[in-house]
Amino acid sequence: MVLEATMICIDNSERMRNGDYSPSRFQAQADAVNLICGAKTQSNPENTVGVLIMAGKGVRVLVTPTSDLGKLLACMHGLEIGGEMDLAAGIQVAQLALKHRQNKKQQQRIIVFAGSPIKPDKKSLEMIGRKLKKNSVALDIVNFGEDDEGKTEKLEALLAAVNNNDSSHIVHVPAGPNALSDVLISTPIFTGDGEGGSGFAAAAAAAAAGGVSGFEFGVDPNLDPELALALRVSMEEERARQEAAAKKAAEEASKQEKGGEQQSSSQDATMTEHASGATSEADNKRNDLSDDDNALLQQALAMSMDEPASSHDVQDTEMSDAAADDPELALALQLSVQDSAKDSSSQADVSKLLADQSFVSSILASLPGVDPNDPSVKEVLASMQSQSEVSSSNLVTQQKQDEDKAPNEEK
Amino acid sequence: MSAVESATAIQRSQVDLLDFIDWSGVECLNQNSNHSIANALKQGYREDEGLNLESDADEQLLIYIPFTQVIKLHSIVIKGSEEEGPKTVKLFSNKEHMGFSNVNDFPSSDTAVLSPDNLKGKPTVLKYVKFQNVRSLTIFIEDNQSGSEITKVQKIALHGSTVETTDMKGLKKIEEH
Repeated sequence: MVLEATMICIDNSERMRNGDYSPSRFQAQADAVNLICGAKTQSNPENTVGVLIMAGKGVRVLVTPTSDLGKLLACMHGLEIGGEMDLAAGIQVAQLALKHRQNKKQQQRIIVFAGSPIKPDKKSLEMIGRKLKKNSVALDIVNFGEDDEGKTEKLEALLAAVNNNDSSHIVHVPAGPNALSDVLISTPIFTGDGEGGSGFAAAAAAAAAGGVSGFEFGVDPNLDPELALALRVSMEEERARQEAAAKKAAEEASKQEKGGEQQSSSQDATMTEHASGATSEADNKRNDLSDDDNALLQQALAMSMDEPASSHDVQDTEMSDAAADDPELALALQLSVQDSAKDSSSQADVSKLLADQSFVSSILASLPGVDPNDPSVKEVLASMQSQSEVSSSNLVTQQKQDEDKAPNEEK
Repeated sequence: MSAVESATAIQRSQVDLLDFIDWSGVECLNQNSNHSIANALKQGYREDEGLNLESDADEQLLIYIPFTQVIKLHSIVIKGSEEEGPKTVKLFSNKEHMGFSNVNDFPSSDTAVLSPDNLKGKPTVLKYVKFQNVRSLTIFIEDNQSGSEITKVQKIALHGSTVETTDMKGLKKIEEH
């Protein structure tokens, strides 16, 4: 997302007629230029790109730096091949064009397509490079075509002279079946100094690679946004529903277990245990519930454990859904996520709840596969009863009355 | 160093303009990225003799300093080493975004040729009349004392005074009673 003004220097000399890059060097170059223009303008809407030709009758600027992609794509039409490439003049004119850019805050960058042999010697290239560095202009070089007269060395020397903190790059593209643009897509020239390529580049890369698109649901959001959105929403709804069911079952199980624990440990400890138990200590629950009759509860726990991560996050949203259906359950859920700081008040609430035997039995009855007459269940109820004697009777009786109303209303 | 003391003591009304520099707009062309302009300008860094601003490709440096408000520039202190410290320094007021190519197209607001005394910390008094209404300052260091490839600057300090301008941040809502 760097704010940049780029000048692309195109080689349209006679050597571009060569077919060693398919369909011809010139065509391959034109495709690469189009892709670069698109990538730059997309990565930052204020980026500008300009194009100039280095051969032909002389160095000529086709498009001054602009953010209009249409103009850039159109300028490649009707370009004639001819003449010989003049690298030094091309870079100097590019530098001048960048100097007179409208937005002075943009970083300056020149991209050179060097497809012909290079005339200037190493020394003069180094001087050009130093001048670019002095004016903080970055340079990207695409080296393609023949490598004669030490072309690669010269270009490497130029790059070394310009390079400041790895902002400049060189890419050597050998002749072969791979298209020039495909090779460039993966280079820093395209991805912009390892920022992680723009969406354009990523999409282009995906298209070039062919095969599975790698998009969610196999539908390209660009091609069919409505379908992709509908698929995503329905997937999330299904997931939410599953989590709500798992959460409910987990809550019931944890409440049961809590009653058994409070026999021995103090209320403080269990409150915190319960709060954390509902979310992350499903393992403990599993160990405790070894009874055959509680196999169904174990199943529910297994379900909730399959999605432990998601259930944590969804917990808060789930609560509102579940609460609408079942006020008692809502209260239980609320208690389970309260802070340990609120222990004292919630303790009283929980103890009141559990002390109300009718309330507890109604909960147990709603659990699938749990028979209130089961001896183990009766044991738990008895323990809760004894615990009710521990807490103050005033609060208990008052709360009992309230809780009596609630289940009655529900029934 | 007493000469330095007395020189700065004379201009009691002049303050160090460090507080009025708009750091987000400070730029320096041809600086070595490991030895950047902050080493010469910022409080603390500029006092450290080991931290210098160094030039990169050649010996010239172009520093652009915008200010948060309008100031009058009285004098400038440039400290550097005897060989590699700057020699010819051109100052331009209120010229934005100059480059090395057009820096000699304009007449400078003032030019200072630094002596070894200056490099030790003696302030260079400028043509005050030329710097009455300065929003931004461009410092062009053209060459250094010994003509070496790299120019090293240890400290740049600007002294002057502010013009009465409203500090928008200081405006507070009047409390209704």
